[in-house]
Amino acid sequence: MAKISPKNIAEAVYVATEGKLGQDLTTMIRRSVKMLKEKRMLGRSDEVLDALQSIFDKKTGTVRAKITTAKSIGHQEKKNLENEIKEKYKAQNVLSEFFEKKELLGGMRIEIGDEIVDNTYRRKLQGLEKFLKQEK
Amino acid sequence: MSNHIVEILKKEIENFKAETKIDKIGKVLEVFDGIAKVSGLSDIKSSEMVTFPNGETGVALNLEEDTVGVIILDDFSKIQEGDEVKATGKILEIPISDNIIGRVVNALGTPIDGKGTIKADPSTGSGLSAYPIEKVAPGVITRLSVSEPVSTGIKVIDAIIPIGRGQRELIIGDRQTGKTAIAVDTILNQKGQNLICIYVSIGQKDSKLRKLQTRLEEGGAMAYTIIVSAGASLPAPLLYIAPYTGVSIAEYFMDQGKDVLIIYDDLSKHAVSYREISLLLRRPPGREAFPGDVFYLHSRLLERACRRNKESGGGSITALPIIETQAGDVTAYIPTNVISITDGQIFLETDLFYKGIRPAVNVGLSVSRVGSSAQIKAMKKVAGTLKLDLAQYRELEAFAQFGSDLDEATKKQLERGKRAVEVLKQPQYAPIKIEHQIVTLYALTKGYMDDVSINKIKEFEQGLTDYSERQAKVFYKQIAEKKMWDEKGEEELKKVIKDFKDGPWGNSLKDRP
Repeated sequence: MAKISPKNIAEAVYVATEGKLGQDLTTMIRRSVKMLKEKRMLGRSDEVLDALQSIFDKKTGTVRAKITTAKSIGHQEKKNLENEIKEKYKAQNVLSEFFEKKELLGGMRIEIGDEIVDNTYRRKLQGLEKFLKQEK
Repeated sequence: MSNHIVEILKKEIENFKAETKIDKIGKVLEVFDGIAKVSGLSDIKSSEMVTFPNGETGVALNLEEDTVGVIILDDFSKIQEGDEVKATGKILEIPISDNIIGRVVNALGTPIDGKGTIKADPSTGSGLSAYPIEKVAPGVITRLSVSEPVSTGIKVIDAIIPIGRGQRELIIGDRQTGKTAIAVDTILNQKGQNLICIYVSIGQKDSKLRKLQTRLEEGGAMAYTIIVSAGASLPAPLLYIAPYTGVSIAEYFMDQGKDVLIIYDDLSKHAVSYREISLLLRRPPGREAFPGDVFYLHSRLLERACRRNKESGGGSITALPIIETQAGDVTAYIPTNVISITDGQIFLETDLFYKGIRPAVNVGLSVSRVGSSAQIKAMKKVAGTLKLDLAQYRELEAFAQFGSDLDEATKKQLERGKRAVEVLKQPQYAPIKIEHQIVTLYALTKGYMDDVSINKIKEFEQGLTDYSERQAKVFYKQIAEKKMWDEKGEEELKKVIKDFKDGPWGNSLKDRP
C-alpha cells in the first residue's frame, strides 16, 4: 500500500470538516487528531496544517503574499499593492504580511507561493557585479 | 588615471539592464551527497537548470508530487537547508567556441588547465555558442552509412577490426590490458587526418589524466584534441554529465561539417556514478542495483555518434567507448548493454597481454559490424584472409602441442600463423602509416615472410618498410592517391621485396635450417 502523505490527510480532514460547526466540528477535529496519533504522524502535524491551509486557500481563492521592503511603506501604498496582486492572481482576497529588511537598500521583494518578484537594489547591485565580472 | 577607470566603468554600467521578472523559486528541504531535495518549483521541467544562492548550478532530475530531486554540479558543502533555489527555465548548456581545441575542460565546459577562459574568436568568426548537453540524436533521414576509415595506426585494428567515421566501436577488457593505450594511439595517429579528437575522462585518477595529457602534448596531438575531465575525486553528478558534455562539444564541430572522434574512458564508471545518483534519489534498483533506465543512459549517448549526409551539413562523430570488465566477464550487465548498442567491439585479454601479444586484442571475439566498408581498397585486399588465417592458426596451435607428426600443409599454416601474430604485435605510442601497414601485410599474406626467422620479423618489417618507401615510389603514390595499386605498382613492390630479401641485410634475417 502506498504511504499516506500529509497532503492526503489534509484532504480527508478538509472534506470531513467542511460545512460543520460547533460540536460536530470539535468531534471531527478530535477524531482527526486521534487518527494522526494512530498513524504515528503527530510529528508531521505541521506539514498537515500547511497542506490544509493551501487546500483552504485554493477553495476560498486566497492568495498569501510576503512583501519585504527596506523602509516601511504607507497604508495607501499597501492597499494599492494588495489590489494589484488581487487583480493579477484573480484572487478573492489577499492576505499579506509586510517585513522590513534594511539590507535590501531599496525597492521591494514580493513572494507569492513559489513565485517571486525581486526588484530590490540589493539584487540589482548583485546583478551588476555579475555583469561587470563576466568576460566579454 | 582614476578618471579613466571611472569612464570605463560608466560605459560598462550603461550597458547593464536590470530587468525585473517573475522567478520561480523553491526551498532546499535537505541536501546530501551532491543531491538536494527542493520544495516549490512547481513548473520546473525535467533536466532544467536551477541555481543556488552562492551561484552553484543544479539539474532537476526527479519531479515528484511535492518535491524536486536536484543533482548539484558544484561544491555542495555551502548549500544549507532553507536556501532559495531559482529555476532558470533553461536546459543545462555549455559555452563552446573554436578556441576550446587544445584545452582541458571540466564537465561544465569550464577550463581547468590554467590557460584562462574560453573566449569567442572574432578573427575566425567563431562566436561563443551555448550547446545543450542533452539533445535528441540525428534522425534516419539525415544519416549516411559508414564508408570512410578512421586510421588508428594499429595494424591489428586497421586490418582486422576496421573503424569507420561515424562508427561506435567498443574497447572492452580487464584492468591493465591496454584499453586507454589503444585510444591514445588512435589520437596520436590523427595528425593531419582532419579529425578532431575529444577524450572524456570519467572517474579516472588525475595523475593518469595528467600523464596522458603530457603524452599528447609531446606527440603534438593537443593541437586537435580536447580533454573533458571528471576525475575520481569529484561527486557523482559531474561524472554523470561529463560524457554528454563531451558529445555536445563533438556536435558543435560536427555542425561545422567536421569529423570528430570521441573517446569515453570509461562508461563502467559512468554507469556506477549514475547508479549512485539514482539510489540517492530513491529510484528503485534493478539488476546489479543499476536503475531501470541504465540502458537508455548509454544508448542515448552513443546514438549521438553518426555520419550525416551533405544536405544535413555533413560531418561525423565516431565514438570509442571503453568498458572495464571484472575478471574477463563480458556477460555482466553494463558490458552486454554497451556491446549491443555499439557497432562492434575490440576485446582485450589479460592472458594475451602477459604472453607478450600487445595490443592484446583477441581477434576471435573482436568484431566490427561495419566491416570492410570502412577500409581503403588496398587494405581490404591484403587483410581479406588475415582474420581467417589467424583463426585457423589458433585452432591448429592446440593440435600442434600434441606432437610433431604434422603434414606439410599444416606445418606451413602454423608457420604463417606464428608470423602473422608476430607482425600484428606493436609497441605503444608507435602508430604505423597505412602505406607501411599495407606493405607489411602484403609481404606476410603473399608468403614473403615464410622464410624469415620468427624473432627477426620486427627487424625485417622495419627494414622492408624503410627500403620500400625509398624504392617502390610508384606503389606508394598509387596508395596515397587512388587508395589501391594496379599491376604496375604490384610488380614494382614484388621486385622491391625480392631485392630487399636478396640484399645482405634481408638475407641475414632468414631462417637457417
